[in-house]
Amino acid sequence: MSLLYDDAQLAIAAESRRVLEARIAAEGLLPLLERQDRFHEPFWETAKQQGWTALALPEAWDGLNLSLVELGLIAFQAGRTISGAPFLTSSYGAAQALLNYAADDLKNEWLPKFASGDAIGAVAFAEQQDVIPTRSSVTFANGKLDGSKPSVSGGARADIAIVLASEAGKPVLVAAPLEGVVCHVLQTFDNSRCTADLHFARSPAVVLVRGGGALDAALHILAHQAVVTAHEQAGGAEALMERARDYALERKAFGQPIGAFQSVKHRIAELYGLVELARAGALHAASREGKDDFLKAAAAARIQACEAYDTAARDCVQVHGGIGVTWEAGLHLHMRRARTLAVEQGNALFWEDVLVDQLAGAAA
Amino acid sequence: MSDIAQYSDRANAWLQSVAGEFGSVSRKGLNESEDLALGRRYLKARFDAGYAGINWPVEFGGQGMTHIEKVAFETEEMKYGMPTSYFGISLGMPVPIMMKFCQDKAFVRERVLKAMQGEEIWCQLFSEPAAGSDLAGLRLRAEQDGNGWKLNGQKLWTSYAQYADYGVIVARTDPSAQKHKGLTYFWVDMKAPGVTVRPIKLAGGDSHVNEVFFDDVRIDDSHRLSPVGGGFAVAMATLMIERYVATDSAGFGPHLDLFVSLAKDLRLGGKPAIQDGRIRSALARNYAMRNSLDAITARAMMMMRAGMDPGPEGSLNKLVSVRSRQKLSELAIDLQGTDALLFDEHAPTQDNWQTSWINAPTGRIAGGADEMLLNTIAEKILGLPQDYRPDKGVPFNQIPS
Repeated sequence: MSLLYDDAQLAIAAESRRVLEARIAAEGLLPLLERQDRFHEPFWETAKQQGWTALALPEAWDGLNLSLVELGLIAFQAGRTISGAPFLTSSYGAAQALLNYAADDLKNEWLPKFASGDAIGAVAFAEQQDVIPTRSSVTFANGKLDGSKPSVSGGARADIAIVLASEAGKPVLVAAPLEGVVCHVLQTFDNSRCTADLHFARSPAVVLVRGGGALDAALHILAHQAVVTAHEQAGGAEALMERARDYALERKAFGQPIGAFQSVKHRIAELYGLVELARAGALHAASREGKDDFLKAAAAARIQACEAYDTAARDCVQVHGGIGVTWEAGLHLHMRRARTLAVEQGNALFWEDVLVDQLAGAAA
Repeated sequence: MSDIAQYSDRANAWLQSVAGEFGSVSRKGLNESEDLALGRRYLKARFDAGYAGINWPVEFGGQGMTHIEKVAFETEEMKYGMPTSYFGISLGMPVPIMMKFCQDKAFVRERVLKAMQGEEIWCQLFSEPAAGSDLAGLRLRAEQDGNGWKLNGQKLWTSYAQYADYGVIVARTDPSAQKHKGLTYFWVDMKAPGVTVRPIKLAGGDSHVNEVFFDDVRIDDSHRLSPVGGGFAVAMATLMIERYVATDSAGFGPHLDLFVSLAKDLRLGGKPAIQDGRIRSALARNYAMRNSLDAITARAMMMMRAGMDPGPEGSLNKLVSVRSRQKLSELAIDLQGTDALLFDEHAPTQDNWQTSWINAPTGRIAGGADEMLLNTIAEKILGLPQDYRPDKGVPFNQIPS
């Protein structure tokens, strides 16, 4: 994989951008903030129609056999328009888990449904501040799960979850179909994520990895999701940087466009820098999939992307002044999304530790 | 393996073979004149090995390759701490400008050959006391004098002028024209009567920059490298040449592996500093940022190899890397506690936190101050308005000073 997009990849970027910009606007997204358990249907329908759900899956399961680079391109564009559902990332994580660690019958059952978008996957590792708990409070015994996973992104709509649990005090990674599992939808500041608590009670689940390997597998899956999210964050940051630029050209004060004042233009120029660093980091990580340094690259991409999106959200609102804090202007959609993406898939604090362990040796 | 990877490997093998003679270890403890002499010998060796003027035309003694090979070689060379700084400006800007704009090709060829072999050094006389970021505000006068010109005035921050044999200079030939339009570009003999060079000691203790005075310095009209009044365009052409230089995401300060070893060796709050959250955060964030800069550089190289123009994001490197070097150097000094107060002003900035720190401001000012780089990004890339410029369209001699 190269750091240079080829023509086919550039076409994916251009086409996904065109489709999303034509179909998604703030008016469609704002009402979702005030309702629980609703995602933006036009977004998900588009994702299915365009084959984005099948993009990074192998052909054997009806996938398009493309890579994290192409999925990253889609995620970047989705981030620009604020993706209407978290499922591209959550199903991708679940698919990675099944692809790498499941037996064929499970793959055959679920992967074609992920490819068509008929099934949605979720990844349930975190428990409050613990991104990858070594002793999960969710227990697994005799093929059944018991206990609760809090705040699972996409959990309210998922058909299957990859759960990091514990079995006789040791970690275990399992796949749990969610039919019959009690799901408690949460009120969050970004409700279209369909975030929910999952309550397992004697719920059937299939083992993917047992013991210490389960933690490594969880980190591996999370790193893949983090790279998708890093693209989404970079896209969101780019959209905000452009909005700040456009507004600074249009809005006049003291007899000139506010973008002529260095305090404003330098702020936007700094955003340009953060956007390009985030983009480069994300692409670099995607291009390292399957290589020894993938985890390092994923962690770096994630840290850089969090900084870009949060800073862009902060500064874009600031450049807009009063209008920027109105409901209607919709910049808060990005503020909310920036913070949500910063927390999903492990926050920057988590990835900083992962990265330093990689740089200094885990013993540190 | 690609051709360019093979080229890099060959270059690296050669560099390794001479590193003992010319590299950072052999330079330890040398005074500046010894180091300069070593540098001249290194340039001769580099010329003989076929790594001088890599992307320069064969008719001038160059290798006739592309900027891709040039940047590839520089990237390898940077790892060895060779004594090249005295020649960086010389070969980077003035000599290429001479090749491009000087009409006396035989003369140029002789100069290029000597410069490549370290026998002659060129300097670039641009900045003045009242013209730094605002280069076109320069005042040094060139007045017509018979069939030539007479130079009077002062230049400032001229790197290695004290060693220079020749220089290129921008002068004001028409004070009644608008400021960008009254400038003309020349070359000068730095040993000519009336040229006085005075080194300026910088904050870090070194004196590689100078103030240069011109008192009735007489030059022939054949020294002129631009149309009369067309000097600014030639000065801007310099920027195009500078587009293809090796960059360093560490901002020419210490690389992060040095920070990692420091943090592993030293203790903070009774435990290894590498276990301290503040240190971990700073390390991770610097790594993430430099990793992205490296990706931008790698992508630019690929684009050049594919015959494309690299994107404008390459301009971020200097802005971002030197700022990060400055702050990280402060943190590394903090980490060392009172040991950090010891200072060897001649230690190379690439492996010493103190000299990296104290010389970092130069990196944020020279060759485009941070604020100018931000202006360039805002205006040229993002299309934001120019700053308010009261001197626009006004004849130079009517601008209030």
